[in-house]
Amino acid sequence: MARWIIKNVRMTGVTACVPDNIMETNEFDFFTEEEADVFNNTVGIKKRYVAPEDICASDFCFVAGDKLLNELGWERNSIDMLLFESVTGDYRTPPTSCILQDRLSLPESCFTMDIPMGCCGYMYAITVAGNMMSSGSVKRAILLVGDTAIRMGSMKDKSRAPLFGDCGSAIALEYDVLANDIIVEFSTLGKGYQALMTPHGGYRNPITPNSFEYEDFGNGIIRAPIHALINGMNVFSFAISKPPRTIERFMEEYELNKDSDIDYYLIHQANKMIVDRIVKKLKIDRQKVPYNLEEFGNTGGASIPSLMVTRLRNVLMTKETSLLMSSFGLGLTWGTMYMKTQPLVVLNLMKI
Amino acid sequence: MNNIDKYNKAFIDVFAVEESVLNDNFSKETISEWDSVHQLNVITILEELFDIMLEPEDIMEFNSYKKGKEIIKKYYIEF
Repeated sequence: MARWIIKNVRMTGVTACVPDNIMETNEFDFFTEEEADVFNNTVGIKKRYVAPEDICASDFCFVAGDKLLNELGWERNSIDMLLFESVTGDYRTPPTSCILQDRLSLPESCFTMDIPMGCCGYMYAITVAGNMMSSGSVKRAILLVGDTAIRMGSMKDKSRAPLFGDCGSAIALEYDVLANDIIVEFSTLGKGYQALMTPHGGYRNPITPNSFEYEDFGNGIIRAPIHALINGMNVFSFAISKPPRTIERFMEEYELNKDSDIDYYLIHQANKMIVDRIVKKLKIDRQKVPYNLEEFGNTGGASIPSLMVTRLRNVLMTKETSLLMSSFGLGLTWGTMYMKTQPLVVLNLMKI
Repeated sequence: MNNIDKYNKAFIDVFAVEESVLNDNFSKETISEWDSVHQLNVITILEELFDIMLEPEDIMEFNSYKKGKEIIKKYYIEF
């Protein structure tokens, strides 16, 4: 079983950065006013931040990371690890984490690594870094998690384009023998991989002129093989069944009472239908489940950090807070994480 | 409102159609607007009206007016 109890590692700060450009649902060409209203009310994503073509996920992450390091007062030379979690890196090679090490003026002694895991990215980054830090040989890590997911797909694809938003985030972890344990569990359903994929552009299907040929799939879905696709029903079915079952078992096995032991449930902001359904299935107090999808859409791996920044900033800065987190996405993969934070450095949302 | 009225109401609200067009031919194949959002929206309304919660496989298979009725009956709703 892929489960870890990560000891001696404390989250010390979190920040997020988005493009200074909002797109409302009714701005999509393929929606009538009526359809846009239905989408807003049911899927729940009313607007999203959209990056211009010349700004990458790494740029949002850089700003988030740079400001966070300054606010923490961490000397750049004291950073031992930088992880960049994204499916929208700068280049196919080299790893974007190496470029960010230089941009952030981190030392040559810094370990760098790219992790392309999609919507569970935040948890993957914490799991990888946390386990590598637990023994104390690595003291400080900066995790940069973000995507420009909108431009991965076709803007003529009604089933995908309105679901996503662009965002970069930064999370600081520090070795601390007094830290509360971080408990995390992951699962994988590889047979479902085709529900979320980009068919062309890898080495299985290298780019050819055909990669850019648009095809009309009906129901407002027009895209080319170079574009990311989503099979909405398959993803929905997966998201409302596997993650909540795991959360229930996870809480039972760790004797976590859903009312008294958890202050907030941070659920990946895929869409309102999915989050509502998970809340209903788990029978948890709606007041403990913050949402920001109405403003940000699905920001991939940055979804949970952006929730922390935009909806829980004051609480996280001032109180010890118990968080039960659930992510699900590409792969298909899903993860559950329990963490009790000490007061954190949380900066206001930044825009560039 | 009886159960069949409740059932029809979900389709009338989501697809903005008259009750008279609802029959066994009303399906994903025959209605161009029928996409995953419409399907999930119908299901959400039905769950509210009947106070039930459909299993994921039932949500996936709910692709016609006729099939939907069969699925709802599994949750002890009589028409």
